[in-house]
Amino acid sequence: MSLPEFESKSTSTAAAERRSQAPTMASAPTWFFGTIRLLLCTLREIFDESAYARFLARHELSSCPRTYAAFLREQEGIKARRPKCC
Amino acid sequence: MTKSIRLLLWFGVAMLGALALATIALHRGEQINAIWLVLAAFCTYALGYRFYSSFISAKVLALDAQRATPAERLNDGRDFLPTNKWVVFGHHFAAIAGPGPLVGPVLAAQFGYLPGTLWILVGAVFAGCVQDFVILLFSVRRDGKSLTEMARDEIGIVGGFVAYAAVISIIVILLGVASLIVVNALKASPWGVFTIAMTVPIALLMGLYLRRLRPGKVLEVSALGFILVMLAIWGGQWVSQSPAVAPWFTLTASTLAIVIIIYGFAASALPVWLLLAPRDYLSTFVKLGTIGLLALGIIALRPTLHMPPLTRFIDGSGPIFAGSIFPFAFITIACGAISGFHSLISSGTTPKLIRREPEARMVGYGAMMAESMVAIMAMIAACVLQPGIYFAINSPAGVVGQAPGAAAATISAWGFPVTAAGMHALAQAVGEQTLFNRTGGAPAFAVGMAHIFSSSLGGQAVMAIWYHFAIMFEALFILTVLDAGTRVGRFMVQDALSHVWKPLGRTSWYPSILATSALIVAAWGSFLWQGVKDPLGGINSLWPLFGISNQLLATVALCVATTVIVKMGKARYSLVTLVPLAWLVAVTFTASWQKMFNPNPRIGFLAHARQLASSAAPTHAVSQLIFNDRLDAAVTGILVSMVALVLLESIFLWLSVLSGRTQGRVKEAPFVATRFAAEEQG
Repeated sequence: MSLPEFESKSTSTAAAERRSQAPTMASAPTWFFGTIRLLLCTLREIFDESAYARFLARHELSSCPRTYAAFLREQEGIKARRPKCC
Repeated sequence: MTKSIRLLLWFGVAMLGALALATIALHRGEQINAIWLVLAAFCTYALGYRFYSSFISAKVLALDAQRATPAERLNDGRDFLPTNKWVVFGHHFAAIAGPGPLVGPVLAAQFGYLPGTLWILVGAVFAGCVQDFVILLFSVRRDGKSLTEMARDEIGIVGGFVAYAAVISIIVILLGVASLIVVNALKASPWGVFTIAMTVPIALLMGLYLRRLRPGKVLEVSALGFILVMLAIWGGQWVSQSPAVAPWFTLTASTLAIVIIIYGFAASALPVWLLLAPRDYLSTFVKLGTIGLLALGIIALRPTLHMPPLTRFIDGSGPIFAGSIFPFAFITIACGAISGFHSLISSGTTPKLIRREPEARMVGYGAMMAESMVAIMAMIAACVLQPGIYFAINSPAGVVGQAPGAAAATISAWGFPVTAAGMHALAQAVGEQTLFNRTGGAPAFAVGMAHIFSSSLGGQAVMAIWYHFAIMFEALFILTVLDAGTRVGRFMVQDALSHVWKPLGRTSWYPSILATSALIVAAWGSFLWQGVKDPLGGINSLWPLFGISNQLLATVALCVATTVIVKMGKARYSLVTLVPLAWLVAVTFTASWQKMFNPNPRIGFLAHARQLASSAAPTHAVSQLIFNDRLDAAVTGILVSMVALVLLESIFLWLSVLSGRTQGRVKEAPFVATRFAAEEQG
């Protein structure tokens, strides 16, 4: 599968960026739901779900096994160089 | 809220903190409730964050809300991305929280709960949080540069080289010690080995689910994986009780070490991401869940501490590791107070996600406070145990004897009553054959955690499940540290070798991958093997070595931080990093000297080698032990000499800048105004 060339500031990345900042801008009905949403957002970032969403947005692709395999290949290079703390 | 009410509120927090600290410090001869430690920690962190980090932000670093961060300027939607501060906080905390803050305090509890607790609180507020915060901010102002790059740019070539060598050394020693903890936790434990073995097919299933059924749904599959792991823990009980199956999973320390060494090599050299990536997610899921559960458990159940504030071992005669409080308590607890390893994370992924400069305070300083709180919880888990049980689990056979009766008699003679029958009953309750001589900290932490939870959730009937849950959590997490660390070490060696011959640096060239993986695995594998064969359990010599190398890396990080502050023309505020730096130099250099040259064979590597040479028959095993002692002494000497060079180079640079002989010019990225400020106003 060939992926489109990387664009540093496409509309899709801007949209993904807005999503990643959603907790600060969202007007949650209550403090409780705001906290839950923020917690989920954090977990989605830690578990790379947000990174996958940004990957899809950046390359204007929809989620499927082939795109996820391409995402994992991209992630391998990044994550393999990250140390885990003791 | 008016200023006077705020003032009153903070005065109340200070008074409450003082009361809690006085309670934990001054009570003698009676047990105290763990909630006093939690209260002391909350109040100390609150005051430290509100006042000290605010002072550093305003006066020392002058955080600039108008300055664009690299996440904004270099936004590529992948590495650089402006991210909500709470999300970055969670991401950073997940990266810095590992087994270190759980194991170090458990080992240091041999001095009693007081020395370790005070070091965790004071060390975090004045040293660890400051290091993480300052390095994070300096990396943000340098386009997310790493610690080694900043050391080279700001201090000089020696600084850069030493930082690089220190990183490699700490990775190698860390992996050796961490794998030894796993070996000691799983040896002769069919239940534990079965549970960890089952994470392999579970991770493969998760990988297939992620790739084929629900691409990208990591949280969902991690929750499913967690349920399967809980089933594996439950099934482990049947395995451990089955005369036919249990022997398959009952492994000796040597066999486990060989299996782990092969695993480390395969994880680094082979494309096994279908296994590693899902297991990494699973371990993070379990880690965050366990830390949250332990925090809730301690606050809700408020257990009593049975360990005294100070034990007789403050004189340095401790069975778990030899050496007095100064310097050994301060290198034994690294990650909960100050850890050089954190400076790698603070100058790695995190600076590329910070959206606004002022947010570096909450992420850098705040996440380290949370890590420190985890260390306090580990201290509580160790100290809720009866001291006799704690010492029976953590003392090596070489000190207390191999036979349960002899070990119990030795420990009881120290003033900590314990019986062989009582230990046997406890081992039965947690589903183990024995709990004597389980050095490394992990089993003691697991028994403590099981003790806390079994007093309420499910009672004694599920104590074994809680114990094996804690063992599984630590072993699983350490194994992910092991494979990630081996790969990172391999990349660093390949980068270095590329300067010698280009093809060696190619990360896709298999001869280079195999050779460098073998090099890194052989390096940490030799430390692991040394620990497994050590009659004193290995932890006595290897954990201090790890603590020294970790704190030496922190020394390098604080040298970089002080240099930048001096170059910024803020020398009068450099005490913020200079005082922790001076403390770490005193601690690490004293510890290094003692580990090399102390005449007590239980402390000094060379004295131990001399003792072996003079008293034991010259067999191959004895020769190997003598070689290991000399190797440990040499590694310590090389590390401390290299850091002394960085320190000297830094001091010369500071004096040169302060006397006006050198112009203090920091190498920051040029100022660019942020667009977020205008957006927020608009």
